[in-house]
Amino acid sequence: MQNTHDIGPTRSRRALLKALVAAAALGSLPRQALSRSAELRWWTPQGAPAQLDAYRYQIAAFEAVNAGVSVVLEPLSDESYATQLAAAFSSGQVPDVVTHLPSFSVQSYYARGLVEPFNDVIEAVGPGDYYPGANNVFRAADGNYVATGIGNSAVNILWLRTDMMERAGLERPPITWDEFRAALTKLHGRGIYGTALPYGRNSATSLVFIGFIHGAGGQVFTPDLQVAIDSEETRNALEYYREIRDFSPRGATNYSWGDCLTAFVSGATATGLYTGRVLANVRDQNPRLADHITCALWPRLSRDIPPWTFNDFPSVFVPAQSRHKGLAKRLAAFLFEPEGYIRQLHAAPGHVLPVLRSIGEDRRYRDNDIIRKYRDEVNLMAEAAAGGYNLGYESNAHRANEKAGEIIASGVIADMVQRVVLNRENVDAVLSRTARAIEEVMKG
Amino acid sequence: MMRRILFNLSVWSAVLIVAFPLFWMVVTSLKPQVELWARPPALLPLEPTLEHYLTLLRDTSFLVYFRNSVLLSTATTLLVIGVAALGAYSLVRFRYRGRESLAMLVLFTYLLPSVILILPLYLMMVKLGLANTLVSLVLAYTTFALPYALWLLRSFMAGIPEDLESAALVDGATRLGAFRDVILPQLLPGIISTALFTFILSWNEYLFALVLVNSDATRPLTTGVMNMLISSFNIEWSMLMAASVMMSLPLIIAFSLLQKYLTRGFGAGAVKG
Amino acid sequence: MMAAMSTGGGEPGSQAESRTSRSPQAMLERRYARLGLLLIAPSIVVFSAVIIYPLLAAIYLSLFELYTPTLEGGFVGLSNYRELLARGEFWVSLRNTLVWTAGTLSLQIVFGIGMALMLHQNVWFRSLARSLILFPYFVSTVVAVLVWRWLFNDLYGILNHLLVEARLIDMPIDYLGAMPNAMISIILVGAWKYFPFVVIAVLARLQTIPDVLYEAARIDGAGPIARFFDVTLPQLREVLLVIVLLRAIWDFKEFDLIFLLTGGGPVISTQTLSLLVYKEAFALNQMGMGAAYGVVMMAIMLVFMIFYIRQARKGDSS
Repeated sequence: MQNTHDIGPTRSRRALLKALVAAAALGSLPRQALSRSAELRWWTPQGAPAQLDAYRYQIAAFEAVNAGVSVVLEPLSDESYATQLAAAFSSGQVPDVVTHLPSFSVQSYYARGLVEPFNDVIEAVGPGDYYPGANNVFRAADGNYVATGIGNSAVNILWLRTDMMERAGLERPPITWDEFRAALTKLHGRGIYGTALPYGRNSATSLVFIGFIHGAGGQVFTPDLQVAIDSEETRNALEYYREIRDFSPRGATNYSWGDCLTAFVSGATATGLYTGRVLANVRDQNPRLADHITCALWPRLSRDIPPWTFNDFPSVFVPAQSRHKGLAKRLAAFLFEPEGYIRQLHAAPGHVLPVLRSIGEDRRYRDNDIIRKYRDEVNLMAEAAAGGYNLGYESNAHRANEKAGEIIASGVIADMVQRVVLNRENVDAVLSRTARAIEEVMKG
Repeated sequence: MMRRILFNLSVWSAVLIVAFPLFWMVVTSLKPQVELWARPPALLPLEPTLEHYLTLLRDTSFLVYFRNSVLLSTATTLLVIGVAALGAYSLVRFRYRGRESLAMLVLFTYLLPSVILILPLYLMMVKLGLANTLVSLVLAYTTFALPYALWLLRSFMAGIPEDLESAALVDGATRLGAFRDVILPQLLPGIISTALFTFILSWNEYLFALVLVNSDATRPLTTGVMNMLISSFNIEWSMLMAASVMMSLPLIIAFSLLQKYLTRGFGAGAVKG
Repeated sequence: MMAAMSTGGGEPGSQAESRTSRSPQAMLERRYARLGLLLIAPSIVVFSAVIIYPLLAAIYLSLFELYTPTLEGGFVGLSNYRELLARGEFWVSLRNTLVWTAGTLSLQIVFGIGMALMLHQNVWFRSLARSLILFPYFVSTVVAVLVWRWLFNDLYGILNHLLVEARLIDMPIDYLGAMPNAMISIILVGAWKYFPFVVIAVLARLQTIPDVLYEAARIDGAGPIARFFDVTLPQLREVLLVIVLLRAIWDFKEFDLIFLLTGGGPVISTQTLSLLVYKEAFALNQMGMGAAYGVVMMAIMLVFMIFYIRQARKGDSS
């Protein structure tokens, strides 16, 4: 907290000054003219207040060892970063460092030559220190790395209320879909919903549902990226997703990530799907639940199917058009310095998990109220996340999919879910239509 | 008498229904975090608190956004009204070739959807070296504000009797002199209403601000507040409502001061053929 | 007003004199014309820079197949247009846009006139009532949408709670995630947000209707309803024609409100053309296609506008 107050006022004074100058001169001064030497712009869509504080700490430390360099933090919103990056790329006025974008977005930009290869940064951080395979998802078709992970997150984690499970006579978390359905039936009722899953027209629904396809043993693409969504497994997943619809609140038809999280944290549901951010939010917003929550891997159709954890692989990368690539890479590597990196991880404990083994085992990282209190949960998530996948990287055998970002953004998968689950349209027709729409995006 | 009371009651219930979201916004902004998730929600906060307001003012960039919005909207309004008043005068009271096509063009530009202007505009700002400045937003806002203002002012102008101007001209005034001494005072209510509408449009704009500026130093309130308080993992409802209340205040104040002119402006101008 | 809407404003001044133009008079006319052009020049400059140029750029872009972040790609001629007209999504979005525009616009007009008539009377605390009514128009769309989403919330929302309490419903309503609720909700929120504009304009006009007209109607034995249709409405005709045109254009283009409220869902049931343009250009990174949608959207508005002005003029002259 200390450093917020140190940095806050000066920052806003500087910001104010800039705004005044810009307005008074009616733009005769472009921004560059204001900075004496290099100014780096850092974009991130992960901008919770505590996280911003941690970033500012890292910036101050970086500026202290790099005289004449200033770093401007520019938080974006999750909904709009694609638009803002598109404008930035097309104009050449790009940020110098971008963090916390999902791996598949970076792959898509790299394929168009917009991203700087990142091999040297990974070298600088120390390739041996990463958890095994942590950078696989960032390998491009040409063999280069397009970015590196700044954290891991296990997104489709099943959160459970232990007090309610006890009351319902459930001894352990459900492992299969049948068990999950049976558990929901017992937990649902008397004003408490069984769970809260997204059925909205948004990326949350698409991404969560991809997890269900894999939970049924299916996949969206074959390893050589042929569309494979029109399958029996997807049919099963759709049917199951429809069956458990009524265990979620009425408004789930418009739910995105935040709604699912809040529904569980506020105590309105007995189970929930989200990352480890649940832990910090319970502590801050609803501490009454703190002793009654635990988590497990998301259930799947049968025990024979391996669990598939969705990890969006929050990344750090440097745009190719950056005018200070060297410095930007130095900043990117600097973000992994233990002192600052641990602060960053502690800003959202359990949500962004470390990618470096030395950090995961570091006493200073372990020394955090949440990480101590929920040791088993955090370990479970860390392990699941490290072995996680996403649409850009459905399995170890899959080639990197450069179009994954566009497929999510196009909303075809959420559309499919809504058509089948809410509109009860014919499954076969919807599936063949979805497959065609995905092929369309792959071609475009 | 009975009828009068009934009438008043029905009018006021309609007014209160319309204003209910305002009431709820204020109530929510005063609720502490724990009360937010109460089910069912309480109609009044049990333990009202100003903490959200204080947090916004003390610990966030809210004031920077606020100042940006003020500068931005004021600059846009001044620019647009200045240009549009002269333009409207020209369109209504002068005769030259192409005047009628110009008038149609104004209406046509009003049709342009902002969505397709964004990218070309952004590229243009970059070429001009204006990207990520408040000036780029001022220029962008003229794309919707200028046609609108020109159009409103033109009809206000058309409502001013011509004999006044002619009389001044006969007395030996120049056209510009007549504009200053005769037209402007007559047009004042119209200018004030148009200015207020322009100000509101710029104060509330979202899409251009989203794409054209990225740094906290240049963000206006709309995108700044959204960015700060809404993320995929959390919506800070209380703070958001507190921010909304503070965002709406300047407009409410401006309106209550100018209410007289607003109705008069429309009465005098837009209405007459 | 209709004169203003047609083309010229009022007739230019000193017409009688200019008829008998002699040399100095003609010179003065020419000087005036030059001055007129000079005065309009700033508007033209601004228009060309920030509107005409981007517009031409958009039309130009629509002839290419472009990846948005790089703006690289090849010339494809009119094929974007051919493709979009063949897509079901375009027609669905067009229908949604028309439903939304017609729905919200007619509610705005009806509520607006109704409220203006009420506030024109002598009401207790009239000035406060007027301020409260105008409030929705002042709050930014972003704020309005958030407040409504909070009111609509299925778990903590006051609206569902009040309705359940009043025993009007026994299950919470899904306002935004199901059809036709989602369309009805955005139409209602749109009406709530923009009807004050109608109130302002109509209220102002009402104040200028001479009382004599009402007196005369009363003497003729007209009741309040007859007086409304025989006196008030004809007097409001001109101002309403203008309001309808302005509001229709704004509503047709509306982006923020729908995007932030439903994002176009469920499926694409509330996706309007503006949202479609945004999706193509920035979610799918197909700038050319997005621009093509935008151009078509504008063309549709243009057709409607010309038709409307024709009709209005015809009504005017009769």
